[in-house]
Amino acid sequence: MTEIAKAWKNPIRDRVGLGWRRELAVGILSHLDQIDLVEVIADDFLDAPRGERRALRALAAQTTVVLHGVSLGLASSVPVKTKLLEKTARLCEEMNPEYWSEHLAFVRGGGVEIGHLTAPPRTDATIEGAASNLERARAVVGSAPLVENIATLIDPPGSDYDEIDWINRIIDSSSSDLLLDLHNLHANATNFGYDETEFLKGLPAERIVAVHLAGGKWVEALGERRLLDDHLHDVPDAVYRLLTELAAVVPHSLTVILERDGAYPPIEVLLRQLDHAREALAEGRLRQFEQIEKEAA
Amino acid sequence: MSAARLEAFLAKIYVDEDSRERFLVDPRGEAAKAGLSEREIGALERIDRAGLILTAQSLQKKRRRPSGKKSNQI
Repeated sequence: MTEIAKAWKNPIRDRVGLGWRRELAVGILSHLDQIDLVEVIADDFLDAPRGERRALRALAAQTTVVLHGVSLGLASSVPVKTKLLEKTARLCEEMNPEYWSEHLAFVRGGGVEIGHLTAPPRTDATIEGAASNLERARAVVGSAPLVENIATLIDPPGSDYDEIDWINRIIDSSSSDLLLDLHNLHANATNFGYDETEFLKGLPAERIVAVHLAGGKWVEALGERRLLDDHLHDVPDAVYRLLTELAAVVPHSLTVILERDGAYPPIEVLLRQLDHAREALAEGRLRQFEQIEKEAA
Repeated sequence: MSAARLEAFLAKIYVDEDSRERFLVDPRGEAAKAGLSEREIGALERIDRAGLILTAQSLQKKRRRPSGKKSNQI
């Protein structure tokens, strides 16, 4: 029996959910029967007053909540701020999320707060720094975060590794599994000219636990066009195709989150995108099942 | 410590317009002033200029967001 066939002895229950945003609250709460879980931005609640945290606990009583951080800056040669880790730990202790996640990004340097996720130079220094930061995060918070690949508009200067080698080395050197953002993958592959399906195949399927879906738009400078991951547009077909590819090889259940950060359409539009994701997953699962049957025949 | 200096230098040119303009005029001089290694200076001379401009524009928009709420798009 192959490893995949063995894994299929356990039932696969992929889940599809939505990023929690205040503007979507009414739509989400009135359609919880169609949303398997919600992902909450941890940073929005690290310093939140008691009332807001109580509201978050009330949400968690109604549906599965996972936490997603954006400001730790794990992929850096510089240690993560202890205070931020301690606040994350307190929130996790209070919420007891199924998992928490952060990005393989650097967000500050030399006292400058970048204010967003940025790709660091892909070097041994940032691999070792990420491994060390992830170990500290695990120790302080009590569980290792899932780590997410980020989109970048710039090929990070001073890099010694391709993105895939860099990610794999960090995964190999830590206990963190991967939250794979398929639009980030798609955008980087588009912008820097590599094959997104080959990239997907190069990742350890057994370490991919969760998935992000989003959309973006084209931007231009100096006559060059790049795809920006802005979370303001619908999920493109290429990303659903990647989800199918992923579901065809990952031997365990996946958690898929649709991220939308503005230009909010009616909730029905987002629910249709969740259904589209479920269809893409089902197609991939069928392919995996057919492969197992073929191997067994 | 050079890796940390490179991150600090990148943070500055991504976020600060004056620093970025000075860098684009004289990449070697600005990188050398920051104490970066010869290898890092070489990499910065070959920087993806379109990517740098687009990154700076994108960060500027996100830093200006009025709500102050964080989100994880890039």
